[in-house]
Formats: sequence, C-alpha cells, structure tokens
Amino acid sequence: MAHDTTHDHDLSPGGAHSHHILPQGTIFLVFGALMTLMVITIGAAFLVPEPLHSNTFFMQTLAIGIAVIKAYLVVTYFMGVKMATRLVKIFAIGGFVWFFTLFIMFADYLTRPYEPVPGWENVPSSALPRATVKDPE
Amino acid sequence: MAHAHPAHEGPEVYFQYESLDQQQESYTLGMWAFLVTEVMFFGALFLIYTLYRMKFHEDFFLAHEQLNWKMGGLNTVILLTSSMTVALAVHFAQKGKKAAQLTCLGVTLLCAFGFLVVKTWEYGAKGDHHLYPNWTFSYGHEEGKEHKVKSFWDDTLPQALHIEKKEMHGNPERAKLFFSIYFTLTGLHGLHVVIGIIAITSLMILIWRNSSLITDYVPTELVGLYWHFVDLVWIFLYPLLYLIPR
Repeated sequence: MAHDTTHDHDLSPGGAHSHHILPQGTIFLVFGALMTLMVITIGAAFLVPEPLHSNTFFMQTLAIGIAVIKAYLVVTYFMGVKMATRLVKIFAIGGFVWFFTLFIMFADYLTRPYEPVPGWENVPSSALPRATVKDPE
Repeated sequence: MAHAHPAHEGPEVYFQYESLDQQQESYTLGMWAFLVTEVMFFGALFLIYTLYRMKFHEDFFLAHEQLNWKMGGLNTVILLTSSMTVALAVHFAQKGKKAAQLTCLGVTLLCAFGFLVVKTWEYGAKGDHHLYPNWTFSYGHEEGKEHKVKSFWDDTLPQALHIEKKEMHGNPERAKLFFSIYFTLTGLHGLHVVIGIIAITSLMILIWRNSSLITDYVPTELVGLYWHFVDLVWIFLYPLLYLIPR
C-alpha cells in the first residue's frame, strides 16, 4: 500500500481529471471493516449472553443494524456515492427511501388486531405440526 | 501492459452532452436508475419475508435451522471479496493499469463462480432432503421413513462438507412457505450473479481486445455498480435467512 501515493496522477486517456479515485488503502480498509462486521454478525448470533439472546427484537435489530452499516459502507465507498455528483446522490438515496415507503404496508397488517380481517385472525401463530390439526370441514 | 493503450484521444463527447463530465454523469445516473428499480424489485420480496416472519416467527426459526450458516458465511466472504476486487478494478481502470484491472476482474469472476458452486451445493442438499416447496416436500414427520437419499455430492466430497438434514419440528406448511421465500430470494439473487458473470466476462473480453467501445473507466465502473448491488442484496439475505434469532 506504500506505493499507492506515487501514482496519484491520472494516466488514463480522457481521464478522471474531475473524478476522485478511491485510494487502494480505503478499499482495503472498507473490506476489512466489512469482514469484521460479518464476523460480529455471526458471533452475535451465537455468543450474545442469555437474557438478551432470547430477545428476538434485540437480536434482529442488532443483525439488521450491522447489515445496514455494511450496506452504508458498500454504497458510500465501493459504489462511490460519497464522491458522486448531487444528482447521482439523490437517485441513490431515493431508491432506499422508496424501499422504506413499501413498509407503510404494515399500517394495514399491524392494525388488524383493532380492525379484524375475517380469516386472518384465525391463522394460528404457533409451530404446531399440521398433521395434528384437523381441518374443520 | 500499463502502456498498452494506443495514444487515442480518450472518450468522445457526443453531441447531446455539453462536456465529458456531464456525459459520464449521465452514464452513472442511468445505472443508478436501473439499480433503484432493482431495489424496489427485491424490496417487495423483503417485504413479503418480513410479513410472514412476523406472523410465523417460530416456524421460520425452526425451518431456518435446516440452512447451513457456515455455507452462507462462506458465500458472504466470497461476495465481500469480489466486491473489493471490483472496487480495485475500477481503481486500476481509472489509473489506466490494464493488466491489474483485468486481474481484479478475473478474481471477481472466480468469486462469482465460487459463490454459485456453494449455492448449487446447498440447493443440491435441499433437493436431496426434499426441502423444496412441491408435493414431495418432506418434513420428516413420517415414522420410520428415511429421507437421506444418496446424492452426487456424497461420493465426490469429504464427509466434513456434507450438509446433513436435521430433525424437523413445527408446521410443515409454514416450513414450505419459508423455503418458498428462501428459494425465490436466493434464486433471484443467484440469477443476478449469473447476469453479473456474463457482464464481467463481456467487459473483460472487450478490454482484452482493446475494443473501441472501452475508451475509459466508465464501463468498468458501471459493471462494478451492478456487482456491488448483488453484494448488497446478499448482505441482507445472509442474516435474514441463515441467522434467524430464536
């Protein structure tokens, strides 16, 4: 990585005069961070002590939280959004905003206890084997 | 090899653009517009997953124990590595180092194939165990019924690499739902990996042959953006499918 700084000038034709080149060191650093976070994800899934380990909400938030950090690193550095123009940034951010907009659908499903939908409330949420449950004819 | 480029003038600025910067920005923007549609495409599937995970959490937890987190972890390492090599390929493309760029793209290609090998291996085991959603879907409740079918892998791979079927509990219909979602999500992701392989191979051939289509780093960057997206989807798929908390 030490030779990295010696080649800072651009050699390519028509080159990247106004474009920032992501330094090799940053690429390795981001990769290291991603790998570390992956190890933390796996480690957390097995090694978190008991009162917290059986807390589904905590464990899921932790796993998704780490995944979001990883996604942030990939989008910002590897995909170059950090160095991109404002218009590209708006598109990139817009995509993820739209993704979260989809989840407004839960306004329906999460309020069904208050506004029951016929059929939905009868679905048992247990893990009973189907074989032991006789279907009412 | 670094000086293999002929002394041409670099990319042409087409008549509809004011400058090279604007032209390159619009290429990148076009790719991002496509990736936004991809985010929405996978987003709907993640939404379905979230809905049924919330509704049938216990069954999904029991079903997910059939997935091998080590295989998933191996694939995560492979994809993260490939993402790094693509980022390096763009880096070398910007510096005009063709040999290093091709090497990095080659390693990416190897990683992509490695990912598919591991995935095929997992899918094969699920097939052997009748854990794919169809009418022969087997949860192992039937007494005295042996579900271990001798597979192609059993003869070719050492014992340590076999994926064993675990004893199953819970509602088989819900498990079927879990495996439906599992195969849809990972199958579509796998399809994206295959498309990525085609894109990277085409790009490598064009660079290798000094094609007039490749005048700068932008094509590498666009293929790179696509590949990072494939990595991005897997970053979420791995904890959601392989590491479901109890």
